[in-house]
Amino acid sequence: MVDNAAVRALRTMDLIPYILENPGISISTLAAKFSVTEKQVENDLQLIFMCGLPGYTPYELIDIVFDDGIVSVIDPQVLDKPRRFNKSELIVIALGLQILIEINKSNPEQLAKLQSLSKKISKLGSSNLITLDPLATNSDYLDLITKAISERKHLEIGYNSLTKDERTRRAVDPQSLYFLNGNLYLSAFDLNVRSDRVFKVDLIEDCIIIDFKGHDNSSEQAKLFELVLDVKKSHRSFIERNSSVISSLQEIGDGFEVHIQIGNIEWLKRSILSNAPGITVTSPSLFASELLESAKSVLALYQA
Amino acid sequence: MSSQKTERLINLTLALLATKRYLTKSEIFKSVTGYSGSPETMERMFERDKDELRNMGVEIEVKGLDPLFEDDQGYLIRAETFQLNGNEFAADELLYLTMAANLWHDSALSNDSKAALLKIQSLSGPIEFNAINFPVVRDSESSQMLATAFEAIEKLKKLSFKYNGNQRSVEPFGMFMRSGFWYLVAQDDKVIKSFKLVRVESKISFEDETFIKPEGFDLTAYLARYSEEEIFEAEILVRKEQAYSLRSKYSAEDHDSEWDLMCIPYSYEPELIENLLWHGQNIIVRKPQSLRDSIVSRLEDFING
Repeated sequence: MVDNAAVRALRTMDLIPYILENPGISISTLAAKFSVTEKQVENDLQLIFMCGLPGYTPYELIDIVFDDGIVSVIDPQVLDKPRRFNKSELIVIALGLQILIEINKSNPEQLAKLQSLSKKISKLGSSNLITLDPLATNSDYLDLITKAISERKHLEIGYNSLTKDERTRRAVDPQSLYFLNGNLYLSAFDLNVRSDRVFKVDLIEDCIIIDFKGHDNSSEQAKLFELVLDVKKSHRSFIERNSSVISSLQEIGDGFEVHIQIGNIEWLKRSILSNAPGITVTSPSLFASELLESAKSVLALYQA
Repeated sequence: MSSQKTERLINLTLALLATKRYLTKSEIFKSVTGYSGSPETMERMFERDKDELRNMGVEIEVKGLDPLFEDDQGYLIRAETFQLNGNEFAADELLYLTMAANLWHDSALSNDSKAALLKIQSLSGPIEFNAINFPVVRDSESSQMLATAFEAIEKLKKLSFKYNGNQRSVEPFGMFMRSGFWYLVAQDDKVIKSFKLVRVESKISFEDETFIKPEGFDLTAYLARYSEEEIFEAEILVRKEQAYSLRSKYSAEDHDSEWDLMCIPYSYEPELIENLLWHGQNIIVRKPQSLRDSIVSRLEDFING
């Protein structure tokens, strides 16, 4: 990136309130936080050390101490507060608050606080031209799961498995939570099957924190299946939603030849059936005929 | 050389920020370190410095100090336009702001998320909280595309890109995210449409032209209309002890020894069909007939290739 003087000046000024609130921070942490090299942070700090208010006596200069890779601010002069959020930062915050409001719908106390904060942010000038369509996420256990991840505790969850269609109880070591395609997922190490699993949070029926039982995280390498699918253009949202398991993609005629690598074959089987007739299996042929049999048996229910 | 200029820009900003009254150019040249040379040189330096800071979003105010002499202008930066107020947010609000910004740190908006978090942490200090383990949004958009679209909406610039095989030139009115995907709401050939960003087949680029947005346009109202749909009800049989994900959402009553009966409201048939076919042989649709017919014809098409 071209670091012009104005960009550098503002970044350098941004360092001061940050260090002020985080005294004794290391140069390496600062470099990582501000996405620049350690050398750059050192140069910036050397530079601002020479800056201050007119008069430029020691009383008017910005005063920082750095020693052994650790920095603190003694006198920030007027740079005691961060700069205001710019437009795109406000967008990010406003959208984030919208999600927090959605997932806290059932918690009136938090909801009220979030709504008043959201108003403050829109007064700061966030755009109402960029918004989120509501997510449907049940989050009764969100706080509990977040707590378990932070405190490195295990969870016992009751789960309605979508692919296996069964209600199971399992002990998991929770790793992270994420939104994908509008759904909230928990990524966790399943202690019973000793393997990484992903759970849809709205299918978790109950959830409690359990004592750490101790385990080694050595998971069995899941076996991956390779398949080739023919996805019609009308069903391309299948491709968009599952880009992470698609290894290659080629446009052919009115569809796409999609190479897919996947561990959970049952999930794929159900996905293809639910998209019928938009997705067909090109290879392996055994899997293709297995799917045809499933489709026939569903059809038979309507012809009885 | 460049570091001298950086130093001067910092000193100028600090001086304009610290002053309670408007500073004239001659006061600036006299008191702010870094300005030297002939009056013309200093003048040129100052004009450039001022423009560069303004381009970075720093609001430098100008005021004529003497109504008789246009040249005698004063400058300052108001703290409230430059900095956040330390009392603006309570402690729990800083926590929510952290969570809100953090949601995007793995997404196409990660740069803005990171920048916002730095500012929040410059008010709050280190956050020792679950906020870091709070959910994040994962998407597959290009951040360049989002940034371009955001800017075009903000500055009323026309955009051009390829979509569905055609080159488009559109007037962007707004954006929204639905089910994890970004959509651009834009006027294309006098019709307001939604474009799904992942389906854009080229780079998105600005056109030179700007446009005037119709005054009556309201994104929230547009979205409400967009999702206003008639609600139907499907009556289905669910095999006992099966289809738990449906059972957790809708109640089922006993039908016979093998099946339970369930009613599901829906507005968009393809979505319901996808949801029902997922359960394969564990679901039979009873009503409406049109839904039964759609399922049968889809399965027949699938089987007959």
